[in-house]
Amino acid sequence: MQEEELQKMEKKSAYELFFDIPVGPQHPALKEPAFFKFRVEGERVVGVDVDVSYNHRGIERALEDRNYIQNIYLIERICGICNVAHTLCYAQAVEQLHGKEIPPRANYIRLMIEELARIHSHTLWLGVAAHEIGFDTLFMYVWRDREVVMDLIEMLTGNRVTTAINTIGGVRRDVSDEAKDKVNKGMNILEERLKYYRKVALNDPTVNARCSGVGILKPRDAIKLCAVGPTLRASGVKNDVRRDDPYTLHDEVPFNVITFDTMDVFARVLVRIDETLESVNMIRYCLDHMPNGDVRIKLPLSPPVGEAVSRVEAPRGELIHYARSNGTKNPERYKVRTPTFGNIPSVSEMLTSKSDYEVNIADIPIVLASIDPCFSCTARMEFRDVSKGKTWIWSLKELKAHCKK
Amino acid sequence: MEENEVSEALKNKFGKKILEIEIPKKGEKVAEDMLIPEIMEIKVSKRRVFVTVPIEIYKEVIRYLVEELGFNHVQTMTGLDTGKVIEIMPHLGRGITITVRTRIGKDRPVLSTITDLVPGASLHEREINDLLGVVFEGHPNLTRIIVPEGWPKGVYPLRKDYIPEQPKPIREVS
Repeated sequence: MQEEELQKMEKKSAYELFFDIPVGPQHPALKEPAFFKFRVEGERVVGVDVDVSYNHRGIERALEDRNYIQNIYLIERICGICNVAHTLCYAQAVEQLHGKEIPPRANYIRLMIEELARIHSHTLWLGVAAHEIGFDTLFMYVWRDREVVMDLIEMLTGNRVTTAINTIGGVRRDVSDEAKDKVNKGMNILEERLKYYRKVALNDPTVNARCSGVGILKPRDAIKLCAVGPTLRASGVKNDVRRDDPYTLHDEVPFNVITFDTMDVFARVLVRIDETLESVNMIRYCLDHMPNGDVRIKLPLSPPVGEAVSRVEAPRGELIHYARSNGTKNPERYKVRTPTFGNIPSVSEMLTSKSDYEVNIADIPIVLASIDPCFSCTARMEFRDVSKGKTWIWSLKELKAHCKK
Repeated sequence: MEENEVSEALKNKFGKKILEIEIPKKGEKVAEDMLIPEIMEIKVSKRRVFVTVPIEIYKEVIRYLVEELGFNHVQTMTGLDTGKVIEIMPHLGRGITITVRTRIGKDRPVLSTITDLVPGASLHEREINDLLGVVFEGHPNLTRIIVPEGWPKGVYPLRKDYIPEQPKPIREVS
C-alpha cells in the first residue's frame, strides 16, 4: 500500500483521535449554565475551552442609567448567594466616594451578616460537592444544618436569601438582644455539626477516593493565573482580602487565614469547612463586642466627583468594584469583577492532564464544582461535519431557518 | 510594601515625566486637559495608588510593577469611555491596589497586551475587547467572550454613543 493511504488509515483509528466533548450549558456543576468543550484522548482530558459568555445581562451598563439608591437593589441581584458581598462592596465604594465613615455598630452588623452569608454559602457548596461525588447522605445532612443559618439570616434581615441589609451609610436594621441570644445558640449548633463534617471529610473513604489528588492546581500556576479565594488558599497561598486589605472591622476581629497544602479538591473541601468554623468564631466576637449607637448615617444622593476601588472577600474569593462618579446622581461607570471570572483560567488549568497526573471525564463535575462557580451564561449550538472535519456554530435564527428548509 | 513606597519607586523609575503628584482630596474635579501625553500623575490614598501613564510607557510600567515590585496579580481591568478617549485601567496587587491608567484615542483603539506578563489578564482583555472595541496587540486569543452570538460587529455596548434598545410593552393595554 502507498504511504499516504496508510497514514490516512492510521488517522481514522479512534484511539489516535482527540474527541471534543461538550459539557453544559445545562448545569455542568452547580445549577447554573456554563459551556465547556473538553478535548479528550480516551478517558483523559487534554484540553479545555471555556465559554462563560451569553446571557450577559448588561448590569454594568444598566447601573449607569439608575441612581445610587436604585443601584443597591440592582447590585444585589448580580448573584443570589453572594448578595451580601455585593451590596457591601457597593456601599463601601459609594462611601469612599463620599469620604465618610459609618458608625461602629453598623460595621459590626455588616461583618456579622457577611460572615453568616459565608457560612450559608460554604455549607451550600459542601452539600453540592457531596452530591457531585455521589455522597447524597452528606448532602442532605449538610443542607439540613444549613437551615439553621438561613433562619438566623431571615430573623436578622427579614429575608432568607436576598437580605437587603447593607445600604449606603450603614445598615437598614438593628440587632436586638433577643436576636443576639438566638444567633449565639445557632452558632453552638453549627460549630458542633461543622466539627462533625470535618471529621467525616477527613475519615470517609468516599470523600478520600473522589477528592484526593484530583484537580491539582500548583501554587505557581495559581498565582500566575490570578486565582482568588478558597481556590488560591487550597493551593497553599496565604492570601485573603480580609487580612491584606481589611475593610469593615477585619483588622480588629481576630481570625486565621486557612490554607492547605495538598492543592487538590480535598484541600478545597477542608479549607471551606475550616473557614466556616473561623466565621463562627468571628460572629461570636461581634456579638460580645458590639457597641451601642446608630446603625446608619444619611448621605446625599450624589457623591462628589471622584473614583474608588472597593474590595471584599466574598465566599468565592476576592470581589472588586470600581466606581467613577461625575457629580450627578448616576455613576459615570461602575465595574464589577466577580470571583468566578477570576478563577476561570485556574479551572481550565485544573482540568488539563499533565505529565504527573491525569484528569478523567468522571472527575469533571467535582473539579468544576471545586471552584464554587457562579456563572452567567447561556446556550449555543455547535455542529460538526465529520466527513469534512468542519465545525461551525449556528445562532438560534439560523437554526430555525435550517429547520424550515 | 506600603502605598507611599510604591509611589516613590514609580517616581524614581519613571520620574522624568511627572508633572504633579497629589493625594486626592474629596470632591476634586477631574482635569479636562489630561490628554497631553507627557502628563503622568500619581494619586495615593489608603492602600490605593492611582497612576496615570502615557500610552508609550504603559507596558514598561506594568512590567516594572509585575516583575520588580512583585504586583503579579491582575484583579481586573476596567475600560471606560469618557466621551473623547477610552481609559484602560488594570488594577494590580493582592494587598494594596495599584490602578495604572492609560488613555487611548477612539479613532485607533489599540494597546499592547499584558497577557505575556500576567496570563490571568487574558479574560479581562477579551472582555474589554468585546464591550469597548479595544484591540490588544499580541493577545493569543482575542475572541468574543461576553456579548451574545449574533451581536453585530462594530457595536460596543459600553461606548457612550451606544444607546440601548428600550424595552417595549408586550401588548398595548387599552
